[in-house]
Amino acid sequence: MKAREFWLLFAPSFVVMSGLLVVPLIRTIQWSFEEVHYGTPGTFVGLDNFVHALTDARFGEAALFTIVVTVITTTILLVLGYIVATGMNRLTLSRPLVLGILLVSYVLPNLVGAVAFSWLVDDNFGGILNRFIGLMGGSQVLWFTDQVPNAILIIANTVWHMLPFAMLIILAGLQGVPVELREAATIDGASPLQTHLHVIIPTIRGVLGFVTLISIMDVLRMFDNLIPLSPQAATIGNESIMLYVYSVAFADGAEQLGLGSAINVLTIILILIMLIPFMRGIFKEAKVAR
Amino acid sequence: MTLNIEALSTRAITTGDIEGKGPRRRDGHKKPVITGILLGILCVLWMTPFVWMALSVTKPTDIAFANPPVYWDYEPTLKAFVDLWETTYFSEYLVNTLVVAVISTILALIIGIPAAYALSRFPSYVSAILLVLALVFRALPRFAVVLPMYDISRALGIYDTTFALALALVAINQPFTIWLLRNFFAEIPRELDEAAMIDGCTRIGMLRRVMIPLMGPGILTAGIFVFLFAFQEYLTALVLTDTSSKTVPVFIATQLGQTLPMLQQAGAASILLTIPVILIAFIAQKYLVAGLSDGAVKG
Repeated sequence: MKAREFWLLFAPSFVVMSGLLVVPLIRTIQWSFEEVHYGTPGTFVGLDNFVHALTDARFGEAALFTIVVTVITTTILLVLGYIVATGMNRLTLSRPLVLGILLVSYVLPNLVGAVAFSWLVDDNFGGILNRFIGLMGGSQVLWFTDQVPNAILIIANTVWHMLPFAMLIILAGLQGVPVELREAATIDGASPLQTHLHVIIPTIRGVLGFVTLISIMDVLRMFDNLIPLSPQAATIGNESIMLYVYSVAFADGAEQLGLGSAINVLTIILILIMLIPFMRGIFKEAKVAR
Repeated sequence: MTLNIEALSTRAITTGDIEGKGPRRRDGHKKPVITGILLGILCVLWMTPFVWMALSVTKPTDIAFANPPVYWDYEPTLKAFVDLWETTYFSEYLVNTLVVAVISTILALIIGIPAAYALSRFPSYVSAILLVLALVFRALPRFAVVLPMYDISRALGIYDTTFALALALVAINQPFTIWLLRNFFAEIPRELDEAAMIDGCTRIGMLRRVMIPLMGPGILTAGIFVFLFAFQEYLTALVLTDTSSKTVPVFIATQLGQTLPMLQQAGAASILLTIPVILIAFIAQKYLVAGLSDGAVKG
């Protein structure tokens, strides 16, 4: 294909992406160095916003909470995703049914799933999970006002939402593992656990890396599900970075657009660093295809 | 941690036998009973939130949120649904949501198909760089583009219109759209392009007459995903809409923390949103699976 044809075909998409993604992004970077309100030009304040963000205890708390939840959720997703995918790999006839049921939680708006989740544990609404814990002899859990139970609730909801995705990607990877490889391991006397740890997992590590990356990216910017699940997020210390940006830069009366933008820029830098290995993969592929 | 693109391109999560065929499969007759039971329990757990919500919204309002809960001793009623329809602007919000989803799907495909095709046929550093950029934009924190969009849309006077929201979603989901479509195009042999071009087709004529028919399932997959993303979107709609183009997820969020009847209506709205999604999960499962394992990047 000639370069001229390429650009002709790519132009519409390019125009839309530059106009509606690149231009706003540049505006965000510009705002991060300014003291600014909606609809008015800002004044340059240098690195003040970044200093403010990095010295703000509330931001520190939000960043810590977001990172802890991200690490725990990603770990659970990988382990549980692998186990469920291995199980799914054995199913034949019932697979479409099981897949269909599991996929619903992924395809549904995150917010709606979180509302349904919150009803399970809200004592005011006769939360059945609390009744169940009570039956098992447990004491009352303050799901919405106690930091750790609330974090567990958020992690459970995120796992519920994202497990189908992790499982499907890992399942795709498992199907690429040659049957001969497993048989060879069995003949060599490997136990099933050893086969998983030393044969299958190393074979699909690319896929596992990919699930890790997407999971980290998506959990780092969690926002929707916290609205119903953590109404008092800021007071109990369970605010996510995005919720913090929202509350300083957009919620009613909040106009610290510069500060919000600075946090966005910091998040972007973090994400870019994580993307480096993935970018190298794409460039390698381009080199091979040449 | 490197990504093996080939591994992701195994788009064949089939519904049939994949452990191997015929004599190769040693335990071919053994049914995975324990696995089946465990996955069955998982399915029940996965459905519990919906089932509980569906029960809550079909109870009379005074006992819907009673503590201790009323499990079965009640007359099921659809009053919450009727109230939702009659006392709120739900029907308008639903129309807004659908209009936004349809417009953004059509626009995303119209501009995304040629772009993805071009990327799949122009293997050079330019297309690699553009793909990396697409990935970076896919990973951006949503507020980094949506807050400036809010400012810009107000300045342009298109704030709170369904078109502005649809256009924003086209742009936000464009990286995913072209990434997914490009992976599908990459599987169509290049010789086909050349054959059609030798037969006298122009590049665009060839794209229209040869590629797009061949890409049917791929385009359907991308379309379903872009539609779902627009349908699911909460954050962008929250920032870019106010009253006249509000979408259902935003409506549901504003109903929380209000009175119990309003909360029950939010539940009813949620159930109404869930039903089409369940249908998609079963009827279009093949395309969802293909999109997830091939594009594998949720926007």
